[in-house]
Amino acid sequence: MAQVISSSRARWYDPDSATLDRRIFSDPEIYQQELERIFGRAWNFICHESQLPEPGRFFMNYIGEDQVIAVRDRKHQIQVLLNSCPHRGNTVCRAEQGKTASFLCSYHGWNYDLDGSLIGMPGENQFYRGDFDKKAWGLGKAAQVQIYRGFVFATLDAQAPPLVDYLGWVGRLGLDMVASSGDIEVLDGVQKNRIKCNWKLAVDNLYDWYHVKVSHGSALRIGLLTEESMAPDGQMVMLGDYGHGIGGPGLSQAQLNDFVERMGNGEEPSKWYDLQAARRLDQRTRDELGPVGARSLGHPNIFPNLWVTLTRQLCLRIPRGPFETELWWFTLLPEGMPEEERRMAIFIANHMFGPAGFLEQDDGENWSHSTRGAMGNATRKRPLNYQMGHGQDTVVGDPSGQNSIETVVNEHGQRWTYQSWQDWMTADDWPSLIANHTPAPTGVV
Amino acid sequence: MASLANLPLAERMQVTFEAQEFTFHEAALLDNRQYEAWLDLLTDDIHYWMPIRRTTTLKEVSDEFTQRGGMAFFDDDKNTLTRRVNRLSLARAWAEDPPSRTRRLVTNLQVVEVSGDEIQLHANFQLYRTRLNSEEDNWIGRREDLLRRVGGVLKLARRHIYLEQTVILSQNMSSLF
Ligand code: FES
Ligand SMILES: [Fe+2]
Repeated sequence: MAQVISSSRARWYDPDSATLDRRIFSDPEIYQQELERIFGRAWNFICHESQLPEPGRFFMNYIGEDQVIAVRDRKHQIQVLLNSCPHRGNTVCRAEQGKTASFLCSYHGWNYDLDGSLIGMPGENQFYRGDFDKKAWGLGKAAQVQIYRGFVFATLDAQAPPLVDYLGWVGRLGLDMVASSGDIEVLDGVQKNRIKCNWKLAVDNLYDWYHVKVSHGSALRIGLLTEESMAPDGQMVMLGDYGHGIGGPGLSQAQLNDFVERMGNGEEPSKWYDLQAARRLDQRTRDELGPVGARSLGHPNIFPNLWVTLTRQLCLRIPRGPFETELWWFTLLPEGMPEEERRMAIFIANHMFGPAGFLEQDDGENWSHSTRGAMGNATRKRPLNYQMGHGQDTVVGDPSGQNSIETVVNEHGQRWTYQSWQDWMTADDWPSLIANHTPAPTGVV
Repeated sequence: MASLANLPLAERMQVTFEAQEFTFHEAALLDNRQYEAWLDLLTDDIHYWMPIRRTTTLKEVSDEFTQRGGMAFFDDDKNTLTRRVNRLSLARAWAEDPPSRTRRLVTNLQVVEVSGDEIQLHANFQLYRTRLNSEEDNWIGRREDLLRRVGGVLKLARRHIYLEQTVILSQNMSSLF
């Protein structure tokens, strides 16, 4: 293995100056190491259980650059199989989703059961002379598959800690924000498009409440959003071990109380946060999200690459080489949602994000040009600045354990992402990551 | 309602020619960035829709597109289309500032049905977009349009757009199809 990472001394992100070496967005060797050390080890989001309602249903996804098939097998277990036939490496499934009885390789016809085991091969007796160990040559599988509240995650690393521990309270809270309204289902139709940017710049952006008024200023001027809703000053950040985070608008306790009272009186939504906060209306949800979590209307990122949006969507950022990223948008709605609300939720999901979305249209070019800036001989040697709010805020402890930073627009989420990313990249394996990763900050940040 | 094959040649020629004139005019307005004039070609009840497409096996090819009322790339009415148009003429609506250069090739026009004031028109299109110095996008697909005569003038009352791509190989779709 090329030693681009020689020791823990090698630093791309410098927490003292809050600056970042841009080569992490363009160096092909760093990218190869990311596939191993980040995507190869992390719990990666694969799909939601509702996408696999019965045996034979499958959905294709990726772990880094490895294509995987999530499928419900005959025992109703969800399998995450590597889509690569052990004979010559051909894919055994070419459709993005669907239902099948088995996976038949189109090259020489090896046939795999829904749990990945090799169940048939042409010429087994005639050409292999009846002397072939089929049990040893099934499809490769994710080392572990676990489900949190219907969200299916898989890891290629047998040493990865259990999913709930990996997520920690911040990752779980991030998913709870979409799951707490009862049983949810993924709507049919995942929007997918490609942006010529490094995947980390897309992740970086989800914490970025600084760009909104500039990048998406047009949304204000065509009357789609209000000034206040675009980048509210009251911001709340929660940071969790291994790089998970939630950053974005936060309500004060007074705002939340006022909201609950007004809506309880049957008032029409009138304040910028009413529509988002509406999901915090019933006491059960607020209890589930916790005293601090219930006040957050921020953007969670499940490290490394799953953004939970405020529009009931998940956006997965799948790397396609150092210079290209695929964005996949999943839309989740509570089952049995009243028709009118459901129509409105779909309308919002269809019009805000996705490649034709009013907001999303403007993002891609910024990220691709930032990526290009990491390629130039002169530009790549100049560090990037992540100093907004650095050293100026404090993590406030809460008896519930939900520690948060309550502040103005800031770059805490980005700094935390790169610090954690660096921990992952310099760890040799899961035990060393567990032992040496930077714990979620306390005190001044 | 008349499927076109039952009409005399002269009538088929006439309606096809009208549909063609409308289509070419409409494409020219978009290519020339005359977006306000383009909006005027739309009926107030227009439905403008591009479903999501995905690769399926042949057996499940009827599931290739998402259904109406569900997730889509575009699911627009006059109001949202007006906002798109407003964006296109705003400075610092960054997806289109600097503006892209687009060219639409609309071909294989087929009037498939004429019914009262309405004409159902199918067409193939290629929408080529280039922007800045070297960015290129190519969208090819099929359109199913409904044209309606309003006060003697043809207008676009429905456009369903079926792209050939499943994963959109572009950073965005800020153009109109
Ligand atoms: S590559 Fe799959 S059967 Fe040969
Ligand atoms: Fe954005």
